[in-house]
Amino acid sequence: MANTKRLALGLAVALALLPAAVAAQNFPDRPVQLMVAFPAGGSTDIGARVVAAIAEKAMGQPMVVVNKAGAGGQVGWTELARAKPDGYYLGYINLPATNTVVLDPERQAIFKETDFQPIINQVLDPGVIWVKADSPYKSLKDLTEAAKAQPNTIRTATTGILSDDHLAILMVEEAVPGAVFRIVHLAGGADQMKGVLGGTIDVAFDNVGSIVPRVKSGEVRALAVMDRARSKFLPDVPTTLEAGLPNVVSSSTRGIAAPKGTPAAVIKKLEETLAKAMADPEHVAKLEAQGLAIKVMTGAEYQKYYDETHEVAKKYTEWAKTRPHK
Amino acid sequence: MDAATHLLGGFAAALSLSNLGYALAGCVLGTLIGVLPGLGPAAGTAILIPLTFNLDPTGAIIMLCAIYYGAMYGGTITSVLINVPGEAASVITCIDGHEMAKQGRGGVALGVAAIGSFIGGSIAALLLTLMALPIARAALQFGPPEFFALMLLGLSLVTGLAGRSLLAALMMTVLGLAIAMIGIDPVRGAPRFAFGLPELYDGVEFVSVVMGLFGVSEVLLTLERPYREVIRTELRKLLPDRVEWRAALNAIWRGTGLGFLLGLIPGIGAIIPTFLSYILERRLAKRPERFGKGAIEGVAGPETANNAYANSAMIPLLTLGIPSSPTIAVLMGAFIVNGLTPGPFLFQERPDLVWAVIASFFIGNLILLVLNLPLVGLWARLLYIPSHYLCVGVLLFCIVGAYSLKQSTFDIWLMLGFGIAGYLLRKIDFPLAPLILGLILGPIMEKSLRTSLEISAGSYLIFIERPLCLGLLIVTLLVLASAAFNLAPREVREVELN
Repeated sequence: MANTKRLALGLAVALALLPAAVAAQNFPDRPVQLMVAFPAGGSTDIGARVVAAIAEKAMGQPMVVVNKAGAGGQVGWTELARAKPDGYYLGYINLPATNTVVLDPERQAIFKETDFQPIINQVLDPGVIWVKADSPYKSLKDLTEAAKAQPNTIRTATTGILSDDHLAILMVEEAVPGAVFRIVHLAGGADQMKGVLGGTIDVAFDNVGSIVPRVKSGEVRALAVMDRARSKFLPDVPTTLEAGLPNVVSSSTRGIAAPKGTPAAVIKKLEETLAKAMADPEHVAKLEAQGLAIKVMTGAEYQKYYDETHEVAKKYTEWAKTRPHK
Repeated sequence: MDAATHLLGGFAAALSLSNLGYALAGCVLGTLIGVLPGLGPAAGTAILIPLTFNLDPTGAIIMLCAIYYGAMYGGTITSVLINVPGEAASVITCIDGHEMAKQGRGGVALGVAAIGSFIGGSIAALLLTLMALPIARAALQFGPPEFFALMLLGLSLVTGLAGRSLLAALMMTVLGLAIAMIGIDPVRGAPRFAFGLPELYDGVEFVSVVMGLFGVSEVLLTLERPYREVIRTELRKLLPDRVEWRAALNAIWRGTGLGFLLGLIPGIGAIIPTFLSYILERRLAKRPERFGKGAIEGVAGPETANNAYANSAMIPLLTLGIPSSPTIAVLMGAFIVNGLTPGPFLFQERPDLVWAVIASFFIGNLILLVLNLPLVGLWARLLYIPSHYLCVGVLLFCIVGAYSLKQSTFDIWLMLGFGIAGYLLRKIDFPLAPLILGLILGPIMEKSLRTSLEISAGSYLIFIERPLCLGLLIVTLLVLASAAFNLAPREVREVELN
């Protein structure tokens, strides 16, 4: 009797677990959507399309890139956080922009940083500080000295409020006490170029991926890459570490996440497939042609990076909100 | 030399089979809009924007531009045959054009209008080619403060000249600016006036607004209008005889010059060039009493001016990003929907697109000549379609179009709401053009204002210290003052009142 009961119980448990296990095993049995929170043709979108085209071959199901642009990524991330956690709706998270949207109360975001399950990071694009080719600032030191000597006069462009570039300006101010920049929030790299070439902007903070061709053509001068090691795309440009500001390390990263609550087995499967796709020579060649540095992080490593980025973003977001020079 | 090289490249792109197809489709659709009474170029262009969503930007813009000047071209047919202008700029053509049709010379009236439009349009497109690059290069000096002043000037020009009451025009401008503020704040990222509706986070959908304001409201107005009788006129003879030809040709040259020059001034609107050309022809005529009784110059001049204007009005749009008429404002919206901001930087960022579009103007003018001369009888047949069928079709098209924007029913309700609002505003004679202009220019103006103030750390002196910016602001003030004190030339004001 007892045996029969135990058997029945065991069978019941097994039956209850079966659909989940089968679902994970059969995953994916229909197309997977990959959301990009920025318009088609941007660098996040390019990366997404390259990896999706390779991964879908291994998965046996189409991986469809959907652009849900708007409100600096907020529209897309809101959608991702609210999607059904079954592995069929994935999305790109762009750190630290995804974090600052959550952290800035003015944005009234209806999702939290814990609503995402990071799967794999694809690109880490370090920050870069650049000026016009004929600018009087020849080095990062020239710039910080000038920002100390005449605080709040150097017109310094971000690529949007609370973007990684905005936070990077605050990092420089923190590392060089007394230096104050006059921060101008522009919509992106194209607007920065107009401002700098037109003389209304003195210095711009952006990412290596957006500026490499202009540096190579000699139109602009990169003062420093905000990383601990030199960028392979700008080998002649010193790092902030070399310039004596080791704490100024800033980048924009792009990785793929799922809504929280996605079954672990599905996450594992996606992670493996995507990691394999990102190691593919075609993926590497296509991203490097765009000046995008590949940095694959998965599992605990990516989760740790995500949490650390969130803490850094939190500190500087609070500072940005209380900074007297708005 | 520079422009010639660019234009050749543009022709290479515009003459590709697909782009040629888009230009042809646009011309046909545009002529259709022009022919169908009650559906003006602004409404027609607005409701056709969703058709171009799946095209690449170059194809989409080529097609929409073709719709625009196709509509400007096609309006003549209804003016001549049923004494109802297919679009406002053909109002004046009714006078002598319809008279000619009654005398059995309808074919000649349509023929001379088509030839005049072709000459005027092509010459204006040629001058556009020569002038665009120097103007765009000069405008590259503009920083955010200058752009702010330029947008202010653009708004004030149209405000000062559109409609009967300056107050009403100003109110509509401010309403347009207010609607433009709905959505996420472009600098700080906070939602504004969204009432907690996620659908409004990205702002109100421009295409829904214009389809409602122009398309739906036109349908509602058309339902009120009485049925007009169509004149069956002789359409076999399209070319004027030698005496008429000489008179017409002179009117065509004058119309080209007049239309072109007025197109350079934002805010003139499409109607004034035609009225001024008519007045000019009547004054210069040896026997002015012929006017109103079927004078061919009364058709040739205004129709030429109309199309020269339509092409040269693209200059302020492409080089400065300032729309000079409601239709051009809708066209500018279409650029923005396609991710392109008209203005000096467009020549740097997408020279391939700009020059392909400019080249398509020449091609479009030729296509229209072919479409209009031999096929005019076919277009005239369309006039027999009862307007109630047409209204249902247009309304259906608007609804499907609004839904196709984002697959959201919210946009349909938004469009219908704006349709009713547009109908009521037109009933009480409030002009819609300033509203559309405020809606289109608002975001650019806000962004340049706020960037300017960030650059100057909050000091408004930045607008006065820069000579170019100060100059633009002074011109703006003069425009507003002249509108307030009725300083516009008497004839321009008379036109406004018609």
